[in-house]
Amino acid sequence: MFLLTSCSQMTLDPSPTYPVCSKTRGFSWSWSNNNMANQGLTYDGCNFFRQRLVLSTLSGKRVKIRNIRSKDDNPGLRDFEASFIRLMDKITNGTRIEINQTGTVLFYQPGLLYGGTVEHECNPQRSIGYYLEALLMLAPFMKTPLRATLKGVTNDQKDPSVDTLKATAIPLMKKFGLDGEGLELKVVKRGMPPGGGGEVLFSCPVRKTIRPVQLTDPGKIKRIRGTAYSVRVSPQMANRIVDSARSILNKFIPDIYIYTDHMKGANSGKSPGFGLTLVAETTSGTFLSAELVSNPQGQGDPVLPEDLGRNCAKLLLEEVYRGGCVDSTNQSLLLLYMTLGQQDVSKALLGPLSPYTIEFLRHIRDFFQIMFKMETQKQEEDSQKGGDKVLMTCVGAGFTNISKTLK
Amino acid sequence: MVINGKLWKRSRTLERSEVMEKKEQKKHQQKQSGPKAERKKSRKQGAEPEKDERKRNPKAFAVQSAVRMARTFHRAQDLKTKKHHIPLVDRTPLEPPPVVVVVVGPPKVGKSTLIRCLIKNFTRQKLSDICGPITIVSGKKRRLTFIECGNDINTMIDLAKVADLVLMLIDASFGFEMETFEFLNICQVHGFPRIMGVLTHLDSFKNNKTLRKTKKRLKHRFWTEVYQGAKLFYLSGMVHGEYQTQEVRNLGRFISVMKFRPLVWQTSHPYVLADRMEDLTDPEAVRVDPKCDRTVCLYGYLRGTYLKNKSQVHIPGVGDFAVADVSFLPDPCPLPEELKKRALNEKERLLYAPMAGVGGVVYDKDAVYIDLGGSHAEHEQEEVRPTTELVQSLIGTHATLDAKMAASKVSLFTGAAALTPEEVEGVGEEPAPVTESLVWDPVTQRERRKAIFTKDEEDEDEEESEERARERNEVKSSKVAPQPKEQFDEDDGAGEDLEDMDEGDESCFGSAGALQWKEGLVRKAAEAFLRQQSAAPNLRKLVYGTVPGDEEEDGEDEEELGGLFRVSRPEKSKRQRADALDCSRYAPDSAHDWDQEEMLDSIRNCFVTGKWEGDTDAATLLKEDEELYGDFEDLETGEVHQGHAGKQESDGEEQEGSGEEEEEGEEEGENLMKTDDDEERKKKRLEKKRRLKERFDSEYDDGDATYFDDLKEEMQKQAELNRAEFEDVDDETRVQYEGFRPGIEGNVGYLQMRVKKHRWHPRILKTRDPLILSLGWRRFQTIPLYHIEDHNGRHRLLKYTPQHLHCGATIWGPITPQGTGFLAVQAVAGTQSNFRIAATGVVLDLDKSVTVVKKLKLIGYPYKIYKNTAFVKGMFNSVLEVAKFEGASVRTVSGVRGQIKKALRAPPGAYRATFEDRLLMSDIVFLRSWYPVSVPQFYNPVTSLLQPVGQKDSWIGMRTLGQMKRDLGVRTQPNKDSLYKPVVRAKRHFNPLHIPRQLQKALPFKSKPKQDQPKGRTPRDLQRPAVIREPHERKVAALLTALSTVHHHKRKKVRSQQHAQHKVFLQQKEREEEQRSRRQKEARKKMYRMLGQKEKKRQRSSLKGAPQDD
Repeated sequence: MFLLTSCSQMTLDPSPTYPVCSKTRGFSWSWSNNNMANQGLTYDGCNFFRQRLVLSTLSGKRVKIRNIRSKDDNPGLRDFEASFIRLMDKITNGTRIEINQTGTVLFYQPGLLYGGTVEHECNPQRSIGYYLEALLMLAPFMKTPLRATLKGVTNDQKDPSVDTLKATAIPLMKKFGLDGEGLELKVVKRGMPPGGGGEVLFSCPVRKTIRPVQLTDPGKIKRIRGTAYSVRVSPQMANRIVDSARSILNKFIPDIYIYTDHMKGANSGKSPGFGLTLVAETTSGTFLSAELVSNPQGQGDPVLPEDLGRNCAKLLLEEVYRGGCVDSTNQSLLLLYMTLGQQDVSKALLGPLSPYTIEFLRHIRDFFQIMFKMETQKQEEDSQKGGDKVLMTCVGAGFTNISKTLK
Repeated sequence: MVINGKLWKRSRTLERSEVMEKKEQKKHQQKQSGPKAERKKSRKQGAEPEKDERKRNPKAFAVQSAVRMARTFHRAQDLKTKKHHIPLVDRTPLEPPPVVVVVVGPPKVGKSTLIRCLIKNFTRQKLSDICGPITIVSGKKRRLTFIECGNDINTMIDLAKVADLVLMLIDASFGFEMETFEFLNICQVHGFPRIMGVLTHLDSFKNNKTLRKTKKRLKHRFWTEVYQGAKLFYLSGMVHGEYQTQEVRNLGRFISVMKFRPLVWQTSHPYVLADRMEDLTDPEAVRVDPKCDRTVCLYGYLRGTYLKNKSQVHIPGVGDFAVADVSFLPDPCPLPEELKKRALNEKERLLYAPMAGVGGVVYDKDAVYIDLGGSHAEHEQEEVRPTTELVQSLIGTHATLDAKMAASKVSLFTGAAALTPEEVEGVGEEPAPVTESLVWDPVTQRERRKAIFTKDEEDEDEEESEERARERNEVKSSKVAPQPKEQFDEDDGAGEDLEDMDEGDESCFGSAGALQWKEGLVRKAAEAFLRQQSAAPNLRKLVYGTVPGDEEEDGEDEEELGGLFRVSRPEKSKRQRADALDCSRYAPDSAHDWDQEEMLDSIRNCFVTGKWEGDTDAATLLKEDEELYGDFEDLETGEVHQGHAGKQESDGEEQEGSGEEEEEGEEEGENLMKTDDDEERKKKRLEKKRRLKERFDSEYDDGDATYFDDLKEEMQKQAELNRAEFEDVDDETRVQYEGFRPGIEGNVGYLQMRVKKHRWHPRILKTRDPLILSLGWRRFQTIPLYHIEDHNGRHRLLKYTPQHLHCGATIWGPITPQGTGFLAVQAVAGTQSNFRIAATGVVLDLDKSVTVVKKLKLIGYPYKIYKNTAFVKGMFNSVLEVAKFEGASVRTVSGVRGQIKKALRAPPGAYRATFEDRLLMSDIVFLRSWYPVSVPQFYNPVTSLLQPVGQKDSWIGMRTLGQMKRDLGVRTQPNKDSLYKPVVRAKRHFNPLHIPRQLQKALPFKSKPKQDQPKGRTPRDLQRPAVIREPHERKVAALLTALSTVHHHKRKKVRSQQHAQHKVFLQQKEREEEQRSRRQKEARKKMYRMLGQKEKKRQRSSLKGAPQDD
């Protein structure tokens, strides 16, 4: 009979007003001064939108983002960003979101991460990977274990695909003590852009704390696995991709197996397409990945599966060249977990930092006051071990999951 | 009498022994043969006796019972496991801050005397008055901070949270007092520090036996409170107003060797026990507006974890503030520099007590240090007044400052009453305008950070501070500080830092430039990498640098164009970046062409098929194995086998050795080289041994290693790593790297807690009565709602806490991690006669919404009844309300269940419902529902330290309704409906059952209404008159009665006789029957036996074959 009501609210204000947090002014002896609310952070522009909201939710600091595409012909938040905000609202309790009428200013006051069973229709402008990356960051710190069903585009050219995240991010999370049968990422249906129609099931257990890691040895690549998928096209496409990809990778290692995954009927989504995901696993359990997807139907020239396979293999080689204990897509996830660890030293060897990661590091400093020690590790000229690496070291913030209920 | 008896006994034994002496004793006969003699013989010969009892006498240790053995083993394991604590990572720095020793006890128990004695014991100095925390150097590796705890509950709570060791003074002549138990309970809630009991006033016992008994009684009571075997010290008596030297020395020894277990809350939160506080506000501003914002400076050692600059802090008893600036200060009470194998000398026994007013004064940048210069100046300090003119004047100013603060009624510390400490806790962070000034003492490797609370940057302040700095330098040069101190100003420090960085990078990248790649393509790749990573000279600068270079340039361009007008040029690059696609993918470098063989070669060794490093290469590993196991000596033949790898190893040694030598320089002579070589070899040998041992351990210990051991080892490793990681980093940078608590804890929200009323608190607690909680660092008043969890997980509101049961409580308060303990008091003002701690508990859950509900019964009345359907009104007010409750189950008071079907149009809020039986119009229908309760958002920090001087313990927050009524003399007006009235129940009147005649006819007789209903009273005219007999008739009647009585008696007698006879007859008959049956049985038995024999015979004969006779 009695239902728990979420006090989340999402309002569209006619004017960009929002309650400004009154600053704590020195020692004032009145008791009204004891407001403990943190001051918010202000950012400009829509880039790194997810980072800001995720870190805000984890740190409890409010965030105001201004000038979102303010000079654009079509100003304001896009549909996929609105969809992302809605997802954040679903997994939290007590979140306050205010957007002005044009959508150029967003105010976000985070609530507590709630979790539970969530179903979300992701906007097909971006793939599910866009939403899933944020969920991966938040999922271990929920009140109840998250069980999210995301519907939309599973693979596209912009974001890391669900297959890649399944092959790289999930083993990475296991290194931080997030194991058990609760951790699962399952592709139920595949959906290609622009139609979408895919479905992904993601479930993750909750943890009170995350343990520090020392990932300084990337190891050597012992096997390469991959998935060549095709939906609503000839099943032969996948085989052609596999052959061309193997032709390049066979020069390095014989242990290659690329699965072909042809989904049919209800599981194949709404649009045709094909693609390849490659994952290289090393002796120390590091996963490096590369992927390539065909152009969406009606956009750009059609791609030959042979070209796609070859290019994807080359991308994997590029990723191997960059090296490190995590591939370039998951750098930020790794750094976040390191930041949220106990107050102990965590270390990780990374390849060159991607622009996204660099911005993420800045955001971590803004939200958690954590700075990383970065040491460039030069590779010897004849070592033949790819490019230079960066050793990232930090002392964890001592973050504890304050949402989790004690029984 | 007893004594006599004993005496008598002793005399008896004496006599007997005398008698024995006289008698010839039997000589001991040595065994010449048998097992005993043989054993002795073998022992004489030098054969080792069997040490193991088990081997010598295996029968005694044989397993008697498997169950018993299992139980013994089980118990042993239980005991072993019980001793384990969860291993924690040891995060204490190499030079830990002073240990906080809190001296607690009821008034007049001797707290100040004990502190004075201990200080005299450690530093040979006398302190006249104990005021504020006193820090001393107690040993080569330990410093102590003593602080006295008064009996104000606020002080007790605050000090229990920061204490490392508690000296609990107990007046033995009086026994335990409530304060002691209150403090113990506070400690239990906020993480249990080490507690040591000290019994004083033992000299008041004249009788030795009473003393002994009292000691024992108090000891056992103390043990039940702390733990079995907790240390209890006895201070037997006073000599010249001080405790006995030897006893104090023993106590001091105990304190200085004591080990402490890290408390979770303390180790995970940064805090400062402020030694000293100073008001930096402009006095003029205070004069103009006594309530103006103040800038206050707090000094103290940082404890717990890392405190970040500009963070949010909480000062217990004052409130939440943002730190304006934190800076290092030189250690006022440093540990001795080098550790020699001797006791501390007089110079090293330092005392730092800024509030107690001892010794000389040293001025820092904006701080006053009291320096004793070691106790070589002891004789001068015997008299408390300093001799130097300068120092005296400075102390004078200090006093006026205090006075000023007192006048403006904001003083935190005045006199003995204001001894309350301020812990500064980092909660959230708040970017505030600050100037950073970090001072670091490189010798002691210890950071002292000064916390200043301000919002505005005041030029005046800076000037003042500069002045002070100058002053301090002067003082220092003239007076103090044996160790060289270095001070970095903020700008200088930062500048140096950057310069260092640049230099490092230059060298770094110089070497990178020097790399000569064989192929042009590969070099291109390397350059591409460098381009990305080193567009700024440093990766650190690239990521965390203040402003990227291009933006700066833009700004300059604009400046150049004109003074007044600026070309409105949209910052295209920046805008684009800000509004670019939010994507985590990293585009590959276009310079890499993976069709080229060189490019492919550049990653060749990233695969297992490539070349391996020396220490993991299979071939090398094989050789190593040989080297480890290759050397052996054949004991039988005496041959010595040498491993082949020995040579290689030495090669490696030389390589490494030469490398090191180069680093060290070439000035060293040959001699040194040789010793180096020796050392090298020794090191190698040790390394080899270690590896062998490791291998051995891994082979043989694995079975024994438990999960606990593994965990412990892991923690140990982590601790080592933590220490090692930032050892060589410059401190300025180090501060930036090392941690900080996330800001989320600074928020306010709903807390769900498990609470239990304290057993000793006399009254139960009422929902919605304000309560003062001590949770985390904070003390605050809030309004709790108590609830209990039903079996279906529902949180049902309670009006009062249960008497001896846990219940839930929900409050609006500061977000604190789950599992944090808290305690509650009803008031902090004044002294109460009874136990002050009202409740204790733990935080379970944090949320932004509440789930507490209370029962709500909605009542309605039927106004129309059709068979099992009824129309009910009065429960709801509108159709919409009904629609929300469609399908809900309802019930009548008489127990008829039903369901709401649909709203009716006519009276608004009426609905149709069906029931399992027909309702009566007199029935009342009700609907049981649960109504969510809202928790009042009331959070009021206890600002007891802001009270005027002398009234620090009189803080009164929100009063309860009852208190207010009592205070204002308001009587409760009871609700009239709630008053009890005599119940008047109208007699229920039932109409007689009317059955139509037609029906009556059809009914069976059984169901027909009977006409012969009992008549009521016979009317008077129908009553028969009483009969009065004549005397004769009476006689006849009497006779007849007598006769009939006789007759009755006779008949009764005959009957009983007959009955007895019949009984006998029955018995006889039974006996006969029995005999007959027995007879028959026997006859039957006989017959059967005969039949059986016959049968057997026949069978036998049939087996034999045909009878020969026949």
